[in-house]
Amino acid sequence: MSITVHNAAGESVQLSDNPLAQGGEAAVHAVPRFPNVVVKLYHPQVLQKRSDTLRAKVEAMSSDPRLASFKENPALAWPRFSVFDENGQWRGYAMRKATGVRMSLLAHAMAYREHFPNLDRPAVVAYLLRLLGVLKELHAAGVMLGDYNLANFLCDPGSATVTLIDCDSWQVSAAGKTFRCPVAAPDMLPPELHGKELGKIDRTLESEYFSLAILLFKALMLGRHPYDAVGGSGPLENIRKGYFPYGLGGGGIPKGHWFNIWSHLPYKLKKQFIRTFKEGASDPSERTSVAEWIDVLKLYQRELGKGWHDAQIKPARPKANEYRGAQSISKPLAV
Amino acid sequence: MNESHDDLIDNPTPRCPVALVLDTSGSMSGEPIEQLNAGVQLFIDEVKRDDLARWSVDLAVYTAGGSAQCIQSFIGVEQIAGVAWLSAGGGTPLGPATRMALDDLEARKKAYRNAGVPYYQPWLVLISDGAPDHGWQDAAQRAAALSAQRKLVSLPIGVQGADMEVLSQFSNRPAVALDGLKFRELFLWLSASMARVSASASSDASVQLPSIDSWGSI
Repeated sequence: MSITVHNAAGESVQLSDNPLAQGGEAAVHAVPRFPNVVVKLYHPQVLQKRSDTLRAKVEAMSSDPRLASFKENPALAWPRFSVFDENGQWRGYAMRKATGVRMSLLAHAMAYREHFPNLDRPAVVAYLLRLLGVLKELHAAGVMLGDYNLANFLCDPGSATVTLIDCDSWQVSAAGKTFRCPVAAPDMLPPELHGKELGKIDRTLESEYFSLAILLFKALMLGRHPYDAVGGSGPLENIRKGYFPYGLGGGGIPKGHWFNIWSHLPYKLKKQFIRTFKEGASDPSERTSVAEWIDVLKLYQRELGKGWHDAQIKPARPKANEYRGAQSISKPLAV
Repeated sequence: MNESHDDLIDNPTPRCPVALVLDTSGSMSGEPIEQLNAGVQLFIDEVKRDDLARWSVDLAVYTAGGSAQCIQSFIGVEQIAGVAWLSAGGGTPLGPATRMALDDLEARKKAYRNAGVPYYQPWLVLISDGAPDHGWQDAAQRAAALSAQRKLVSLPIGVQGADMEVLSQFSNRPAVALDGLKFRELFLWLSASMARVSASASSDASVQLPSIDSWGSI
C-alpha cells in the first residue's frame, strides 16, 4: 500500500510505506526520492476535526516572509509546503528530515548510557547552548515553543547538533494572525497556566522561561524534575507552591546522585535555577531569560575547560569545598 | 546494563505500576494457562524492548488458584528476568488476590513518594475465566472506587466462561471479554499501552490508548 502525495503545483511524490515515526496526531513518512525530506501526514480523524485550522497554521508558517529564514535553518524541521492526496484533500506538509536521539533519552538517568555512551558535562552543555541559540532566534521572531516536550528536541550523539521538531505545535504570529500552542505537559508549565485551556491563551516570554528552566534542569540533572521532592506532594503541587528542594531553605532532595550533581554546578548557574524555581514560580519577572542562561552556561563551559568542575555525568561524591562549607555551619569554631 | 541498582533511587523516571491479578484456578488448565504464561512473558519482553517503558513500568503478579499468592512483587520490569511458570489448579480466590494487589500498590505509591519519584495512574489488570470464590465484594468495591476517583485504571478481562457481571464490579468500566484465547494480542496491547503512557510527557497528562480491537470481543 504505497502512498502518493502532491504539492500545490500538482507534482507528485511517493512516500515510504511504513512511517518513520507515529504519534497520536500524525505519522511522518520518508520520501525515497528526496532523502533529506520527510512528510507529516495527519491522521484522518484529526483532519476531520481540525483540517482547516492545521492547514491555515502550516501555510502561514511556510509563507510568512518574516519567518521564511526558518525553512533554511538546519536546526528546525519547519513546515515547507502543504501536501495533498490524490483527491486534492490537504493531508499535511513536507519538512527537513531531522536526525538525532530524543533529548528525553539524554536527560534520563538510565537510558543515556545506551544512547549517549560518551556523554559528559561538556557535551550536555554544548547541546544546551546550541538549543538556546535557536531559541533566541525563534523568540526574536515572536515564536513561542509552548510545548517543551523533551522528545521534540533531537540531539546528535556524534556532535553538538540539536534539531527541533514538531514546529507546527508552536505559537506563531504569521500572516496577520496568532496561532496558539494548544498542548503542553502540565509539569512543564508555570503555575499561572495550570488548569488553563491552552488553546485559548497566549504564551509569553515569561511562560517560556519557566518551561525552559525545567528543561535545562532536567538535561543537567539526568531527567530529575526540579520539583521532585521527598514527601507527599508531586511536581505539580510543588510548582504551585514554588517549592524547590535545592539551595538554602530547601530540603527534601531525593536520595541518589542528585545532590552530588547539583553541588558540582557553578554557583552562578545554581543561583539562576533557585531564582526561577523559587521566586519565579509566583513572580514571572524573576525567571531567567534566554540571554542570561547563555551567559551562565558559557561560564560553565569555560570553567569545565579549565578543570574547575567535574566533567562526569554522575560525579562520585559531592564537591569537596562546598561540602566543607556546609558542614562548618554546624561545627564548633574550635577545631 | 544489568548492574544491580536501587531502583527508586538511581532511576527517577516516572513510574507506571501494573498489577496483574491472574485466575489460575483449575478451569484455566490446558490451553488457557499455556497461553496466559506465554502472554505474561511476552509482555515483559515487549516492555523491555521499549526505550522509555523499560525504565518506567513496575510490575507485580498475583495468582488466584487454590490460594491467593504474590509471585512477583513490584519491581522495575528491567530487573525481571522472567516470572515463575503458572500452573492451574484449585478454586478462584480473586478477592484476596485483588486485595493483596491493592495493598501492595498503596505501599508502592508510598515508596514512590518517599523517593520523590512521580507516578502515573496505576493499572490493575484482572483476568478470569469464571466467578470468584465468595468474599470478593469488598476488594471489588475498593478497585471500583479507586478507578472512579481516577486513582486506578482497573481493567477486568473475562476469558470465555467468565461471569462478566461480577468482573465488571471490579471497575468503573465494564469488563471486556477476551476474544477466544488471544492472550498474545492482549499482552501486546498492554505493552503498547505502557509505551504510550511512559512516552506521555508528564505523569499528569491524559493518554490516548491503542484500540482493543485485536483482542476484545464485541
